[in-house]
Amino acid sequence: MRARKTSGANPQERALWRRSRETDAPFDEAEYLLDLAAFADNRLDDDDTARMAALVARDVTASEDVAAARALTAAEMAADERIVARAAALVDHTRPEALVLSFTPRPAIARSWYGAATWSGLAAAIVFAGWLGFDLGSGLSNPSSVARSGDDLSASEMLDPAPLMFTENSQI
Amino acid sequence: MSVRSLNRDFGERRLEQTDPLADLLAGDKRSWDNFVRRYAALIVAAVRGVASQPGDIEDLTQEVFVRLCKDQFRLLRSYDATRASLSTWITIVARSTARDALRRRRPDSVPIEAVPEMHLKVDAVEPTPKLKLPEALLSPRQREILGMLYDREMDVAEIAVALGIDPQTVRSAHHKAMLKLRAHFKADSE
Repeated sequence: MRARKTSGANPQERALWRRSRETDAPFDEAEYLLDLAAFADNRLDDDDTARMAALVARDVTASEDVAAARALTAAEMAADERIVARAAALVDHTRPEALVLSFTPRPAIARSWYGAATWSGLAAAIVFAGWLGFDLGSGLSNPSSVARSGDDLSASEMLDPAPLMFTENSQI
Repeated sequence: MSVRSLNRDFGERRLEQTDPLADLLAGDKRSWDNFVRRYAALIVAAVRGVASQPGDIEDLTQEVFVRLCKDQFRLLRSYDATRASLSTWITIVARSTARDALRRRRPDSVPIEAVPEMHLKVDAVEPTPKLKLPEALLSPRQREILGMLYDREMDVAEIAVALGIDPQTVRSAHHKAMLKLRAHFKADSE
């Protein structure tokens, strides 16, 4: 039986290595982007270059990013003024510290007036429509209202002949 | 002269200062305007490589600028001029941001009845294995050496022979790898 060979390795370091193999790698995006940029610029040491090369080799997207970063020259490019203006407006002129501009909400007073006007208008429209309907209806039931010319009468009959069928003056 | 070389000059010239983006990060509006004017073309070019439709480019470019200045320039603060040139880093950031933005956009909804059944079939997706710590932190050579040392119980001389390298190189790689692992777990526990 072969005796167990000891490499003389530090047991704590062995434990650290084994622990690392059981640990999922955290993803720090900012660090990853910097690593990728450093790799594209060939600024990493040999170990990190090999580490990043292995990562890039199995990630098509990262590989394309590196290739683009290395290849991008902008000699013939000029940014649209509108793009520049939009981006420049992201940082406020007036504030001492940089802030992303956000849409300012409408003032509360203006909002409440707008709401009040909307609901008042709606309520007024309902009241008016109700009054108009009531007025028209009560006009039809009033006998004096049917003492009208023949033209008016026939027009009324066309619109709503039923109530007139039972009036005193009807000529049925 | 290309914009890239201009950018690089800008980066290197600014590198001489203590912090190349100090004024901008302090909220100086003029620095931001200069930054935008200087890098807009580069960002447009980077985004163009990712955008599927030319009409998306302007909005995606704006997304990149928004991301750069969001949360008091949080991402821009993470840039380290000693590690990469600003133009390279911005290109990488722009492409990553544009991809994320395109992914977030919802596709136009279509009634399910209008989709032919054959298009409803979903391809089986193999779960992507999560990266373990050694892959993210160590080079393949460092991983190999630690594996030989701790898993296969080989000693330094044997590893050197097996890999055809100097024993001192084995010790050096082991030392650097251990430093990285210790640093990671120390930072993790803090």
